[in-house]
Amino acid sequence: MKAYAQPIKRLIAELAKLPGIGEKTAARLSNYILRATEDDVRKLAESIIEVKRRIKLCRICLNPTEDDTCYICQDKTRDQEIICVVEEPDALAAIEESGVYHGTYHVLHGALAPLDGIGPENLRLNELLLRIGSGLIKEIILATNPNVHGEATALLITRMLQEKNIKITRIAMGVPMGGDLKYIDKMTISKSLEFRRGM
Amino acid sequence: MSARESHKTAGFVLRLLHYGESDLIVTFYSSDFGKLKGIAKGAKRSKKRFANVFEPFSLTNIIFTRKSRDMLAFIESCEIIEHYDIVRRDLEKTLTASYFIELADHFCPEGKKNEKIFDLLQTFLALLGTGKASDALVRFFEMRLLKFAGFEPALDHCISCKAPIANGSSYYFHAREGGIKCASCAKPERYDQPISAGTVRTLLMGKDMDIDKIKLIALTDSLALESRNLLVGFISHVLNREVKSLKVMEQVRKFCT
Ligand SMILES: [Zn+2]
Ligand SMILES: [Zn+2]
Repeated sequence: MKAYAQPIKRLIAELAKLPGIGEKTAARLSNYILRATEDDVRKLAESIIEVKRRIKLCRICLNPTEDDTCYICQDKTRDQEIICVVEEPDALAAIEESGVYHGTYHVLHGALAPLDGIGPENLRLNELLLRIGSGLIKEIILATNPNVHGEATALLITRMLQEKNIKITRIAMGVPMGGDLKYIDKMTISKSLEFRRGM
Repeated sequence: MSARESHKTAGFVLRLLHYGESDLIVTFYSSDFGKLKGIAKGAKRSKKRFANVFEPFSLTNIIFTRKSRDMLAFIESCEIIEHYDIVRRDLEKTLTASYFIELADHFCPEGKKNEKIFDLLQTFLALLGTGKASDALVRFFEMRLLKFAGFEPALDHCISCKAPIANGSSYYFHAREGGIKCASCAKPERYDQPISAGTVRTLLMGKDMDIDKIKLIALTDSLALESRNLLVGFISHVLNREVKSLKVMEQVRKFCT
């Protein structure tokens, strides 16, 4: 870092704050920015600012959107009686990519993480309870990640809703498609046996 | 430059730190090296080499190399010994297990071997698997951890007049002095909460009681509250920091009632 001029150092430091970006990649990106045309760089900078200015969270499901409600919540052909609960917008995007789900979502913006001090108050659970309170919801699909944090979050929501007359389901856990059993860890194998299905 | 030495040990995963694009810095509590910090290169990308192992309170087999004792270990491989699946299926148990490992993390300095603390984690996580996440279990864990870490509070006598615990008497806990005082030595203010001799005796008993008996102990509400206030107050005094998992545990309880 020492060898760089001050403005470049600053750019590298800012880029390195992004998730998954280490100092080496940050230096590579800043090098690209340095060589790019002024027009390209302006477009990049403007798009970053625009995202911050224009994107807010959907009033219903908390998915990032430009409008008051997101395109999924606006879509009347989707099943409004089912909510798929995810930790982050990228999980929602992944499920949408699959194209098989036609209900609505709820984005928690996090997962229960006791050791990081992230508790129920840090998740968007009240918004979920409000939606359920409307009485329209028949099923909640818990699609939090299959790790300790995601599992604890799913258990928390299950407990919160236990007295409500709603079907609660959890996404299946097990062997990934295209996988080879001999490379799969014990935990995944045992889950796949537990959640086996009839043929 | 000296050659890297290769080691093998069992360790509980205490904490993870995302490092750069693909690496994780993992803190373990190991049986042979005490608290141990190592880097798992490519752990965020390679699901094959480190499949599903870096999860809080999982017990793992670690193979690592390092140049010297005070350097970050390089984790060559890490395999699961125990996932504590039953603990992970239960919210209260998951929260309790998280609390256990957070305390072990805060109370143990890096690189100081203490087999008793490793055994304590293993025993109490196993108890969580087979029994309930009871108040007694948590309190007795705290008592034992304090003892093994060298912070055992003096509960068997008044720290001023040295009089032993007498049934039916009330006591007052003085965190700063690390022990209890009898009512006449303590000179309590109105807002000071007394502790019954029964609470004190239960904690003393829980400190050394046979493991198989712990699950048979159920604390009454007043006993649970008194012993909780005493130990949690003392722990936060000793650590001088917030215990995050405890805060989350209490948030969850509030949220689900
Ligand atoms: Zn929406
Ligand atoms: Zn006294």
